[in-house]
Formats: sequence, C-alpha cells, structure tokens
Amino acid sequence: MIIKHQEKIASPEIIQSRFEDLGYICSHSVATAIYLACHLQKPILIEGPPGVGKTELAKITATYLNAPLIRMQCYEGLDESKALYEWKYGKQLLYTQVLKEQLGDVLRGARGLDESIARLHDFGDIFYSQDFLEPRPLLQALQCQDGAVLLIDEIDKADQEFEAFLLELLSDYQVSIPEIGTVKAVSTPVVMLTSNNTRELGDALKRRCLHLYIPFPDAALESRILATQVEGLDTQLREQIVALIGKLRDMPLKKSPAVSETIDWARALLLLNVEELDSHWVKETLNLLLKFQDDIELVEPEIAALLKSLR
Amino acid sequence: MRFVADFIGALREAGLDVSPAESLDALKAIKLLGLESRETSKTVLALTLVKRQADQVIYEELFDLYFAGVGKAKTLIKESNKASNKEADKSEIESSENAQEAKNNPHSSQADMSDGEGMQTSPSSSLGKALSKNKDMSLAITQAAIDEKLSSIVLFTQKNYFAYKIMQRLGDDLLSTEIRTDANSPEHKRKQRELIKSRARLLDQVKDYVEQQYGIFAQHKGLKYREEYLQQAKLSQLDRLDYKLMQRLVQRAARKLASQHSRKRLTRKRGQLDVRKTIAANAAFDGALFHTRWKATRIERPKIVAICDVSGSVSRVARFLLLFLYSMQDVMPKVRSFVFASEMIEVTELFKQQGIELALEEIMKRWGGLSTDYGKAFAGFQSQALASIDKKTTVIMLGDARNNEGDGRTDIWEKVYRQSKRVLWLNPEHRNSWDTGDSIMSEYAPWCGSVEPCRNLKDIERIFSRLLKYS
Repeated sequence: MIIKHQEKIASPEIIQSRFEDLGYICSHSVATAIYLACHLQKPILIEGPPGVGKTELAKITATYLNAPLIRMQCYEGLDESKALYEWKYGKQLLYTQVLKEQLGDVLRGARGLDESIARLHDFGDIFYSQDFLEPRPLLQALQCQDGAVLLIDEIDKADQEFEAFLLELLSDYQVSIPEIGTVKAVSTPVVMLTSNNTRELGDALKRRCLHLYIPFPDAALESRILATQVEGLDTQLREQIVALIGKLRDMPLKKSPAVSETIDWARALLLLNVEELDSHWVKETLNLLLKFQDDIELVEPEIAALLKSLR
Repeated sequence: MRFVADFIGALREAGLDVSPAESLDALKAIKLLGLESRETSKTVLALTLVKRQADQVIYEELFDLYFAGVGKAKTLIKESNKASNKEADKSEIESSENAQEAKNNPHSSQADMSDGEGMQTSPSSSLGKALSKNKDMSLAITQAAIDEKLSSIVLFTQKNYFAYKIMQRLGDDLLSTEIRTDANSPEHKRKQRELIKSRARLLDQVKDYVEQQYGIFAQHKGLKYREEYLQQAKLSQLDRLDYKLMQRLVQRAARKLASQHSRKRLTRKRGQLDVRKTIAANAAFDGALFHTRWKATRIERPKIVAICDVSGSVSRVARFLLLFLYSMQDVMPKVRSFVFASEMIEVTELFKQQGIELALEEIMKRWGGLSTDYGKAFAGFQSQALASIDKKTTVIMLGDARNNEGDGRTDIWEKVYRQSKRVLWLNPEHRNSWDTGDSIMSEYAPWCGSVEPCRNLKDIERIFSRLLKYS
C-alpha cells in the first residue's frame, strides 16, 4: 500500500494517539499490530469476543489511512464467484452474437478449413478476458490504485475450502484466475480478518497472519471509551457503569456484555436522565445489556448486591 | 537476535508450533521496534508467534521467565562495557574485571599471581578477586551458561551437572585450590574464610540460574517425552493418572485427521444453475443454452456404526476409541455407537446429552466389567440396528472375541457384513493371542473386511487415517 503520509505510521504511539483523536480508543498492542501490519505488509487476524470493536478497527484504519474500505462478509457457502470474480455472462453472450456477424469479414478470402481456423486463432480471443471480468471484493481490493483496507469479516463462518482459497491472496497478494492467469496487486492492501472463534481456523491461515487478540477492555480503558463515545455523561456515573459491567463479565453468563452494549446502555441512561445507578433503573434497562432471558433471570436477583459492592 | 532465536526454541519445546516463516516475521518485527521496551517486545512477539489462544498462557509465562533474565544480562553488559572503558582510561589493567576474560583464558590468573606476589593476603585467582570485590557475577554466569549450552538441559537430574560445569567455566578450580592452600597468617585466614563464604554465595546464584533456565527449557520437554511414550503405550495398560493427558492426545490426533480429510468433502450447491459451466458446455451450440448444468450437493461423509465391547480389559481401549470417534465429528457426523457386555445398548444419545467424558464414566460404571456374551449382544444388535445398515455404512467392531464358550451367532455378523460397505474388526490383543482360550476370532474373521490389532494410539490413528482416505 502506498501510504502518502509515512509519518502517520512512524510508531505505534503515534497511531494510538491519532486513533484516539478519531474516537477509537485502543490499547498499545492494537496500535502495535496496525504498525506491524503496515510495515511488514502482513494481514492481521483479529480475534476476540463479539462487540469489542474488531470491525470498527478496520473502519478506523481505513479512515486514518485515507484508503477505501472494502468489506467482505463471510458466510457458509461463500465461493470464489462471490468473493473474487464473476464473468459478465450477458455481455459474453452478446459478444458471441457480434462475433458471428463479424465472422464473414474475418474469414473472407480464406481458402479451406485449415486457413479459416488459422485466421480464427489470430483473431484475438477476448471471450475470457479482463473486459468481461466482474471484480468482486477481493479482486477489487487488489486492483485499487492507491491500495485499500480489505476487511474479511467473520472468516470462521466461511467453509474450510474458502480458507484454503484465501491463502494465495494473503501471502503473495495475488490471485489466480484459471482463464486469465495470475493477477497481482497493483498496490498491497492492508488486510484484516476477523474471527469470533466459532471454529478453529487452519494453521496455514494463521501462519500467514499476525494474530491479534482483543479482549474485553480493562476498567480504565473502557471508561475512556465511554468518555469519547457518550458525551455529557457524568464522571461518577461513568465509573459506576464501568465497574458494574466489569462485575457482570465475571459472572457465568451465556453472553457477557461487550463494549458496544456498554455504550448503548450508557446512552440509554443518559437519555433517561439517570444520575446515579439504582436497582430500579438497572432492572428496567437490563435488557439492553443482556441478550438472553436466562442471563437476565440470573442477574436480576443479584442487582442490589452488585450495586452495594460498588459503593 | 540471539535472545529471540533462543526464546523461539523455548516456545517450541513448550509445544507451540512456531514455523520458520513466523520466526522470520518475529525477527523483522523486532528489528523495526527493538527490544528496549519490554511491553512492546512482548506484544510484538505475541502478535507474530502465538496464533492460538490456548498458547497465550504458556507464552506469557515463558516470556516473563525468559526476558527477566535477558533484561538483567543486557543492562549488565552495558554497565560492564562502561566500566571497562573507564578503567581503560585510567589505564588500570585488571584482567579479572571482565568475567569473559576469565572464561577465555582461565590461566591468566598466573600472571596475577606474580602481580600480587608481594601481598600474600589478597586473593590470587581471578574469580577470587572478582568475588572479594563483591562484583555482580550474573553476566559471567549467563555467559558461562551459554558456553556450556545450558539450553539443552532436559532432565532435572542434570541440574547439578550443569551447575558444576558453569562453576568450572567461571574459574572455580583455581579458587578452590587457593582456598585449600594453607594459610600463613591470621589475615590470610580471614580472607580465606571470606572467600569460602562468597564462593558459597556464588554457587547458590549459579544454582538459582540453572533452576530458572530449567524452568524455561525443560519443564515442557518432560511432558513431550511423556506424550511420546503414551502414543506407543498399550492402551489396555495405561495408568488412570494418564487418562487426562491421553485424552488431550487423542483429541489432538483426531483434530489433525479431521483437518486433513475435511477438504475431501465435496460440497456443491443444489438447484442452482451453474451459469459458467452451462455456457462452457454450450459454446458449441452458438451460445444457445442447449444443455443446462446444475450445481449439485454431494457430501461424502462416511456413516459409521461403532460397536464396542466394554467388558474387562477391552473397556480401556474402547474408551479411547469412542473418544477418538467423537472428537472427529467434524468429518464424521453420522456416528452411531453401541456398547455391549452381554446386552447391546445404543449410547449415541447419551453422548450427545452428557458430553463424551461424563458419558464414558457412566457407561463404564454401568456396563463395564460384566461378563461377555457376543451371541446375545449380536441378537440385540440385529433387532435394534441391522435394518439401518446400508451400503454406505462402515461398521467398526472393537472386541477381543472372547465369548466365554457361548454361541457366537456368526450368522448375524455375516448379515452385517453383507449389508454394509465394510466391516472392520479391531482387536486389542496381539495377533498371537487370537484364538487362544475362549477367543473365537477366526470364526468372525471371514465376515470382516479386515481384522487388525489395535493396541495403542498410533494404531487407532493409522486405522482411521486409512478409513477416511478410502471412504
């Protein structure tokens, strides 16, 4: 990737502080990962529980580097015709029609079948060529003039075959199209893959990537995230929210509240003009934090005790 | 760079798969960011080397152990460099200052001897001098350890050996001689006592260092040897203590097989027009879509019926076989399992509900150890499951064919053989003991695609690998 502003990625610290200016608070290791990805030209595989800002990281990187973000959502049954390229079949058919009309001109004066065929061979074969190629996300990312940020979202949802298919792209930034040959990246994109760990990814894929694990943020970091994301939130309330969320994450829940849920909750509390957490309001708004009825039933009787322990 | 390379070695010993490509990445990254900040290097190495979350814990533990030592050594190197520079300025020639010199020529102290001829009381050996000045010996110890290849330590019994070797490197011989020589004055005696004390301190320091290095390099090596042994060990003779470790091994082996063979499953979409193929197929017809080509789904997954004898000695093997089978659900989702001693019981549901480990415990408690009756069990199998066996089914039987002189009902087994795709009989006993005593292996053998001894984990792995390859 051609980065016009090399000073932007001069050190992890600069990345970290600039990301903060853009409203994305991250730990030092996240910034280091971005730094290494830019300098070593390696894809990053980002893992972590849902809602810790994996996808957000790719978006913010794209904004920061002034590069287009090309996103590909993975799902079961995703194949190369949806991820890489497709032929423009309609146009190809039209082309054969046109070709038929031109055929008379081309073959005029040819003697015998052999010569006709020889002429046909000389006639450029563009049925399978760049002209009829419809680029899909992966190819688009390779063809971007100034490089791009390619986000391959939730790679664990795709089939294992697709994973194998990605390997060439990830290590050499090129893809093979049988009819045309190898297409190399015009300029190396920054590639990020995210995974929710629903299945173990192959070793070959992991080997080609830097591996970044984003855990739930610690209290201080989360408090800072809240401060930037939810404006006008009282400091004391913010601390209380963060502490309570921390406690909830320690409980054996089906799904622990993530950062995105914390933000939603804080916004809701702000909207409701809550000045201090009390068991009434927590109970009323618990469904914003917990997405399973089982979890809510587990937490509800504990609320009073939890709030008490905060003070 | 050397530190990083050594550290990668330590990680490998601890069971992390670090490929050469990853090591190169790590080195490149370290070159970019340097080793100065410990937090940064920790992040950088984690990003490039640790690809599995389970490995994270091992990594952090090792990193702290390893780089605690390295950090110390590095600052010491800097300090000693500074110190030696200063001394060079002062033109104070003191060969004992740098411990590395002591290593390079341990006999240099002879020169010192002549130096200190006049004053008998000052220690004459270089090591003695260094000690009497209360120098920090960590750097010298680290250097000596590298020379003695301490990182190759494997067993805890080697600790003393290495400690001895390192002391030798540091010039302990001369020091000891000096301590032993008769003292000729009270002053000299006092010095000697001091030397003895500081030598003991040094020895402690060396031992601590060896201990720490052993923690880094060898702790996990021992586990590795154990694992290697377990793979070869007879399943029927495994200690209960090893079950846990064994289960991990089984799961790892199964995962390996599963990932090797999962690509063989061909999945195509059904009911969608495959435009590309259609056009290709109709190129000859002027682009008129004459023949249509459809995407089809074809999933090639073996259907497996596993029957396990859970009586007596076979039960232990059965345990691992079932564990293996269920760890491979990715590639073999259709497994029906039965256990029997005298009654045939289907346990597929039980496994689904309880999870394999609990279920196995329960099965062994309830049915394990009863006397075997193959005839009765096969009759039960006939009524329960024979109808569902078709030409896609592979039947895996695990049993020693010891039937307590009863009727073997080979007629049912023949039916199973004729209806199924293949019958595989695994016998936990060695070939030599088949057909001895009450074993009737040869009666069943004609109705089996193959009969194989299955005595250790390696056998199981081999058999399944073949099963997946040709199914």
